[in-house]
Amino acid sequence: MRDSFDLDVRAARKPKAGAKPAARKATARKAAAPRSASARARGTTQGEAARLAGAVRALSEGNHDVKLDPRSFSDPGLRQVAQAVNAASDHIKGEVSEFRTRVKNVSDGVDEAIEAMVKLVVQGDLSGELRLGVTDAALTPLVAGIGQVMETLKRFVTEIREAALQLSTSSAEVLAAATQNESSTAAQASAIHETTATMEELKGASHQIAENAQMVAGIAEQTLTGAKQGEGSIKLFMESMEKVRHNAVEVDDAIGKLSRRVERIGTVVEVIDEIADRSDLLALNAALEGAKAGEAGRGFSIVAAEMRRLAENVMESTKEIKNLITEIRESTHAAKEASDGNKRMAAEGEKLGGAAMTSVVGILSGIQETSDAARVIHLATQQQRTATEQVVQSMAEIEEVTRSAQAGSRQATGAASELTKLAERLAELVKRFKVE
Amino acid sequence: MTTPPSELLMFQVGARLFASAVGDVIRIGNVRDVPAEELVEGTTLGQTFARERGIVVSDQRDGSEATLVVDQVLGIRQVTEGEIRPLPSFAAAVLQTGAVAGLVLLDEVPTLIVDLPTLIRERRAAAPTLQPS
Repeated sequence: MRDSFDLDVRAARKPKAGAKPAARKATARKAAAPRSASARARGTTQGEAARLAGAVRALSEGNHDVKLDPRSFSDPGLRQVAQAVNAASDHIKGEVSEFRTRVKNVSDGVDEAIEAMVKLVVQGDLSGELRLGVTDAALTPLVAGIGQVMETLKRFVTEIREAALQLSTSSAEVLAAATQNESSTAAQASAIHETTATMEELKGASHQIAENAQMVAGIAEQTLTGAKQGEGSIKLFMESMEKVRHNAVEVDDAIGKLSRRVERIGTVVEVIDEIADRSDLLALNAALEGAKAGEAGRGFSIVAAEMRRLAENVMESTKEIKNLITEIRESTHAAKEASDGNKRMAAEGEKLGGAAMTSVVGILSGIQETSDAARVIHLATQQQRTATEQVVQSMAEIEEVTRSAQAGSRQATGAASELTKLAERLAELVKRFKVE
Repeated sequence: MTTPPSELLMFQVGARLFASAVGDVIRIGNVRDVPAEELVEGTTLGQTFARERGIVVSDQRDGSEATLVVDQVLGIRQVTEGEIRPLPSFAAAVLQTGAVAGLVLLDEVPTLIVDLPTLIRERRAAAPTLQPS
């Protein structure tokens, strides 16, 4: 205790580096005062006071082992002060010991709380409550804060778990959608490719149609020219039919006249035949009478025979004439029938010609419409061809965009797949935390 | 037959040619000019077709006239006595008619000589028994 005190005194005598200059000057002046009895008394008192000051200074600097011997102080006042310093030192020592114990308890409690929290976090079991053996009231806010942290962490974990679940579900949906999108994009690309090819074919077909339409227009023009020539021919044919009908009427009239004249000739021939018959009869009777007369009637008989020959010749001639008349009648009848047939044929021809003319006019109209339609088709197909080329170009651009979209879809699918894996990983990680 | 025939009247009934004595014939007429009741048809000479001529015959017993309808009168033909043949007895027995007076060869074809008054009498008297051969 003395050693410590002495040390404390020396330490108290030694001016501190941070001491004020005025205090050091006062101390120096005191040290330089003349040594007399009073001065010695005064010096003793001052020495004891310095000892006291050094002890108090040591106390203030944390040296709780300061201990003064009151008996060593001559001055009663300083002695009481030394006793008070000792009492204060003991009290401070007790307080410090109590404080250190409390600090240790708090530190242990903090360590326990942190260890318990770390243990819970490391184990992932957030279902329970943090139970600590700490009883110090100073740690109550810390325990309460850690509980709030745990609750917050539990809530976060719960929300993260739900979010991870939703993320997993959503990422699966995104993956499915991305896969579907990739598939759709691939199908779309294929369809666009096919459509492009089809449009290429359509372009070729449009070109072919345009050429064909132009050819049809040309043919229609030729047909129109031919049909107009046919119309002229039909007009000529109808005029010819009119002439034929007119001629047939004239022939019919001529046949009628011929027939009437033949009938008249027949009548005349009948008269001649009758006369010849009577002449023959007269000649027969004359010959008969000549024969009855015997030799006297011989010459008469000869004349009668001659007359009879003449009559027979006449009858033979009239017979031939009758045959000719019959033939002429048959011929005129046939001619009449032929003429009637010609008239009917001419009328029929005129009728057919009229029908043909009507048909040709219809054909002309149809051909004209066909020619116009072919021209319209030609123009339309040219426009279609141009439009098709534009469509082909657009389709090529679309195909390029679709290829890019397809590549993007693949990337999206890959990203979605990665996202799904990450979501699953996150879910796995979150599962490690038990909150219920 | 009243006189031996030297000149014969040749006539035709159907397709067959006949001859008769000119003395038996009054005249030759036209069937169209003779009333129908005076015409004699359907005799044993055969069926007529043209019916153009009528041979007017006199029945010396009552002086009446009858017109035998024939198809054609061909004319008068003179024949010699040697050309005329009597009807063979066998033929006469078969014919059972007295209207056939004999045969005459004309162009080497035998032609019946018809007794016209007898023919008309037989036709008027009864149905004909002479059938053409």
